[in-house]
Amino acid sequence: MSDIRKWFMKSHEKGNGKATPGDSGKPSAAKSQPKKPTQTQSEGSARRKTSKYFADKQKPKDEKETDEVPAKRKPQTDIPEAQKPRLSKKLHKVDDDDDDDFMPSNAKSTTDVSPTKKLKSCSGRGIPKKSVDVEESDEDDAKDTKSPLKPSGRGRGGRAASAPAGGRGRGGGGRGGFMNFGERKDPPHKGEKEVPEGAPDCLTGLTFVISGTLDSLEREEAEDLIKRHGGRVTGSVSKKTSYLLCDEDIEGRKSAKAKELGTPFLTEDGLFDMIRASVSTKASGQEKNKKSAEKVASSAAKGSPQKVDAKKESKSSTVASNVSAQILNSTSKPPLPKHQSTGATLVWTEKYRPKVPNDIIGNQSLVTQLHNWLSHWNEQFLDFGKKGKGKKQNDPNAKKAVLLSGSPGIGKTTTAKVVCKMLGFEAVEVNASDSRGKADSKISKGISGRNVNSIKELVSNESLGVNKDWIKHPKSVLIMDEVDGMSAGDRGGVADLIASIKISKIPIICICNDRYSQKLKSLVNYCLPLNFRKPTKQQMAKRLMQIAKAEGLQVNETALEELAERVHGDMRMALNQLQYMSLSMFVIKYDDIKQRLLSSAKDEDISPFTAVDKLFGFNGGRLRMDERIDLSMSDPDLVPLLIQENYLNYRPSGANKDDNGLKRMSLIARAAESIADGDIVNVQIRRYRQWQLSQTSCLSSSIIPAALLHGQRETLEPGERNFNRFGGWLGKNSTLGKNLRLLDNLHDHILASRESNSGRETLRVEYLSLLRDRLTNPLKTMPKDEAVAQVVDFMNTYSISQEDFETITELSKFKGHPTPLEGVPPATKAALTRAYNESSKSRMVRAADLVTLPGPKKAPKKRIAAMLEPSDEGLGEENGEALVESEEEDSSEIEDKEDAADGEKLQKDLEGLKSKAIQVQLDLKENEKSSGKKKAPAGRGRGGSGSSAASKRGGGQSSGSAGKRKR
Amino acid sequence: MLWVDKYRPKTLDKMIVHEDVAQNLKKLVSEQDCPHLLFYGPSGSGKKTLIMALLRQMFGSSAEKVKVENKTWKIDAGSRTIDIELTTLSSTNHVEMNPSDAGFQDRYIVQEIIKEMAKNRPIDTKGKKGFKVLVLNEVDKLSREAQHSLRRTMEKYSASCRLILCCNSSSRVTEAIRSRCLNVRVNAPTEDEIMKALEFIGKKEGLQLPSGFAARIAEKSNRNLRRAILSFETCRVQQYPFTTNQAIPPMDWEEYVSEIVSDIMKEQSPKRLFQVRGKIYELLTNCIPPEIILKRLLYELLRKLDAELKHEVCHWAAYYEHRMRLGQKAIFHLEAFIAKFMSIYKSFLIATFG
Repeated sequence: MSDIRKWFMKSHEKGNGKATPGDSGKPSAAKSQPKKPTQTQSEGSARRKTSKYFADKQKPKDEKETDEVPAKRKPQTDIPEAQKPRLSKKLHKVDDDDDDDFMPSNAKSTTDVSPTKKLKSCSGRGIPKKSVDVEESDEDDAKDTKSPLKPSGRGRGGRAASAPAGGRGRGGGGRGGFMNFGERKDPPHKGEKEVPEGAPDCLTGLTFVISGTLDSLEREEAEDLIKRHGGRVTGSVSKKTSYLLCDEDIEGRKSAKAKELGTPFLTEDGLFDMIRASVSTKASGQEKNKKSAEKVASSAAKGSPQKVDAKKESKSSTVASNVSAQILNSTSKPPLPKHQSTGATLVWTEKYRPKVPNDIIGNQSLVTQLHNWLSHWNEQFLDFGKKGKGKKQNDPNAKKAVLLSGSPGIGKTTTAKVVCKMLGFEAVEVNASDSRGKADSKISKGISGRNVNSIKELVSNESLGVNKDWIKHPKSVLIMDEVDGMSAGDRGGVADLIASIKISKIPIICICNDRYSQKLKSLVNYCLPLNFRKPTKQQMAKRLMQIAKAEGLQVNETALEELAERVHGDMRMALNQLQYMSLSMFVIKYDDIKQRLLSSAKDEDISPFTAVDKLFGFNGGRLRMDERIDLSMSDPDLVPLLIQENYLNYRPSGANKDDNGLKRMSLIARAAESIADGDIVNVQIRRYRQWQLSQTSCLSSSIIPAALLHGQRETLEPGERNFNRFGGWLGKNSTLGKNLRLLDNLHDHILASRESNSGRETLRVEYLSLLRDRLTNPLKTMPKDEAVAQVVDFMNTYSISQEDFETITELSKFKGHPTPLEGVPPATKAALTRAYNESSKSRMVRAADLVTLPGPKKAPKKRIAAMLEPSDEGLGEENGEALVESEEEDSSEIEDKEDAADGEKLQKDLEGLKSKAIQVQLDLKENEKSSGKKKAPAGRGRGGSGSSAASKRGGGQSSGSAGKRKR
Repeated sequence: MLWVDKYRPKTLDKMIVHEDVAQNLKKLVSEQDCPHLLFYGPSGSGKKTLIMALLRQMFGSSAEKVKVENKTWKIDAGSRTIDIELTTLSSTNHVEMNPSDAGFQDRYIVQEIIKEMAKNRPIDTKGKKGFKVLVLNEVDKLSREAQHSLRRTMEKYSASCRLILCCNSSSRVTEAIRSRCLNVRVNAPTEDEIMKALEFIGKKEGLQLPSGFAARIAEKSNRNLRRAILSFETCRVQQYPFTTNQAIPPMDWEEYVSEIVSDIMKEQSPKRLFQVRGKIYELLTNCIPPEIILKRLLYELLRKLDAELKHEVCHWAAYYEHRMRLGQKAIFHLEAFIAKFMSIYKSFLIATFG
């Protein structure tokens, strides 16, 4: 560790040493501002130096600090930096970059200590360190996976050992890079080499492809390293590839391709050498470097913004003095970039909204298509009337409206507006969010003066006015924005829109995010769908670069690509992020973006699987508590289930040297207990609404088990994939629910038979085996006819229906045991069914399957004499006393019913009456309502003395099941 | 018809076991009034039979004309309406139900449905029985809230309604309820009584009972009369005539539990635990109540354990059973118990045999 630190200091000092001469030399060369000396020194605190001051001075510093972007940096930052490394590193191992920033400034000029610094957390100075930090943390993580010894490894590894916090957040947080550690081998010498710091742009223009396992770097680290130094990393070898980075030739496709193309191979050491070389040659090479880099940045920097500044200052000394005063005082507000302070304070997204179609990033073909559609619209539809319907257009322009779809922020609205503007249409934008509810639905009604009603008028009036006033009126286009949000507020919005499209005499452009949304299903048919794709990161980076230049920001392309990637193609978000960052810093680097967006990445949805992966992962032990809570709270219902399902699969890294598995077993026992705790807490939460306990629940159901058992996952069953399974509880629970329902039916039937009055539980636990034997044994052992007769008789005694028969066999089936019906010849089964159905005609049904709930779940049972499905109006109720209805009446009733609620089946099979009266009462949910119908009840008039059995089926089941599930 | 049902005594006079209880009940009822009753005792001891016979004694044969209803009650619980489905068995004079079926919503059943039923005095006022009877099964499974709401109902409507509560364990019924009832303990029948009953059935069925066979069934039944009769009949179905050493088949699920136990004893590893979890799920989805699984697990484990571990294992079983009732997802607790056992047993094995 100390070695490393020494190394660092040395390198910095070296840098300093070199820098000083450079410094002295440069300033003279640099035609910096007159104020520069004073400012530079005093302004340590001012984050926002205009870049011009420093442009010159910076070079020396850049050299020292390999990380720094060559662009203008504040001079003062450089000086302190030499000292900084020592102080900050020693003192602030755990601290954030912000602190690092502080240190140098303190060292430099005590007056500078300004609270404002914090705002600037990412300002130039911090950067180099940051990058190191990031790297380290990654590294640490990686190391952890490998061997605990690592910390002394490369670079600053030592820090991690002394300050465990080093690994916090970053490594585990954003990238998921190590989640799949199982798939790739770890680098053999992970963390054992020093990772060089080179000139920031030493790899600019080079494209790398990484193949196989590197010697000491994880692939992600290597990518990071390359990107940080300005290189590009691509996935596959092509002509443009400069190097194939690999330490072992694994004969893969990449190496084959590389050989074919003659791409040079580069080992990891070679890469390090390249980077190191850039440092040593920097004194001389710096300028070159700088130039190359500055091509991008400095031109812009020096150019527009600064010039403006310069002019300003020279012109109006007051302004200048103000500015300088500000800077000197290090006012709490960071001075805006001059550019901004002078110019408009527009949001960048507005400011740089494309003005012409060519500015639009990506989707150019769609833009053209839209353009064509719009430009032909009038000819096509307005002339229609005149020319007669003669020609059917078969080209896509034949639709009267277009539907632009695509994810947010990729420029749909902009495209629509720009195209309209270009073609001279007047765009009327109806933003569904402001007009929704009141207006949209009124479009078709067109009653009176609201915003959108005027649109309605617009739509229809234009049709009248077209021919006459065509020339006078500017052409209009209706842009319906956010149509997929429309039906949320008002019903029928989409239908109205469609109606509008049909009658419209102006083009309508609809915009939505999700074209496949259910709501838009009908709309799609009337529109020409144009599906916007996300622009590639290169496209975005290019545009972002232009903007950055215009704003006087210094950014390199890799950084912007990273930004583009992080925002998932959302240009608007990218711009917002960029603008936000520009408030606090001037020079934006790859690492800034990476770090900045790491924190925002958290807000993304984490799938429960990812969360569980992270909790159980190797780095699970290093997560901060709040991170763990965040992870397990990402889905407080699913995560615990996943944890419970998978915790057995992890070989805890906490149990070392656990030969006999004893430690692991006791850890599992503890985890299992904790999971059970979680269940208990959960009951309190749900049943007694003690929501304040939800963190407790998280803790015991997810975090503690994960903390105990996190480690490497292993498979328990052969052939299992080594990924977390989905929680089995949900499935089992619903099976249980189903079986309970079946058992309930059986129980009801048996109760209704009046032969037994045992409870449901007793029925299952004690009766069931005997019932099973009584039902299946004869079939196996006795001659067919006799057996069938006996079984059917038994079933009748207990009112067991055939479904119940199945329930019984189902419930007494255990995995790994023969099923109860095994060995019964199919012929016998068939005979049984036949005999059963046969006898059902003359069977007195005692089963009152009173179940009332309507539901599609179960097919009605044949067994039951009457099956009624409740119609919405409600069903009659059938009482034993009430039934003296003739069969004819019944059937007519039945027909009525069938008419009323189609699909209802009534079936009557009851003929016999038994002396034992069983009264079955059907109670329908809507009993009360249907009082009028009471006599109707579809009943099965069983003429006898109040002995009737009817059952009503169908109705009840689904709600029954629902009810149960609730439980 | 199954023998259990066929030979179930229908009247108090015909009781074979618990004649004394039956006689006392008879006297109680004949005095025209009876207090609330709480029957408790292990399953298979004859509580239900006693209750049914008692009802018959009170209301005559009309108590046997029962209709089964399964209906959905809509209950207005403050801001929302709750649908509760409940099966009831009712005659003109009594209603029997199992309020704990509603799970954690049992409170509403007690507060609304039972109160509603209790309020209505039966119309039949020919004379004496001016009350109706509510038979509530499995009262011990009622949640605490439900039991609290029950006690008010018991007092307030006692003029028109009698409650007969039936449960396995009186300790899970709150003190307040117990003190409002006449508690009737129904013991598990002794093995002798069971043998007597079996022989009675054997005689009626005209079966040849080898000597000692009834004794073996009785012993296996764990003093559960219903169980004894059921397995008696199972034996009959499987093999007749009986032989002296005929195997008495265990219940299907018991067999499965003992497989699980031998799995656990053979190996204690995460892998095995995982397999056991699958088997427990199998039992649960086959509607075996988790408490019964746990009890049986313990029983089987104890048979195979060394004496020194028995105490500890019992302790943990009780611990997890209690927690299981507090919780909702039984599998978690069963698994926790098994994991705990594995951990204990494994360390014991290693300590003993190295």
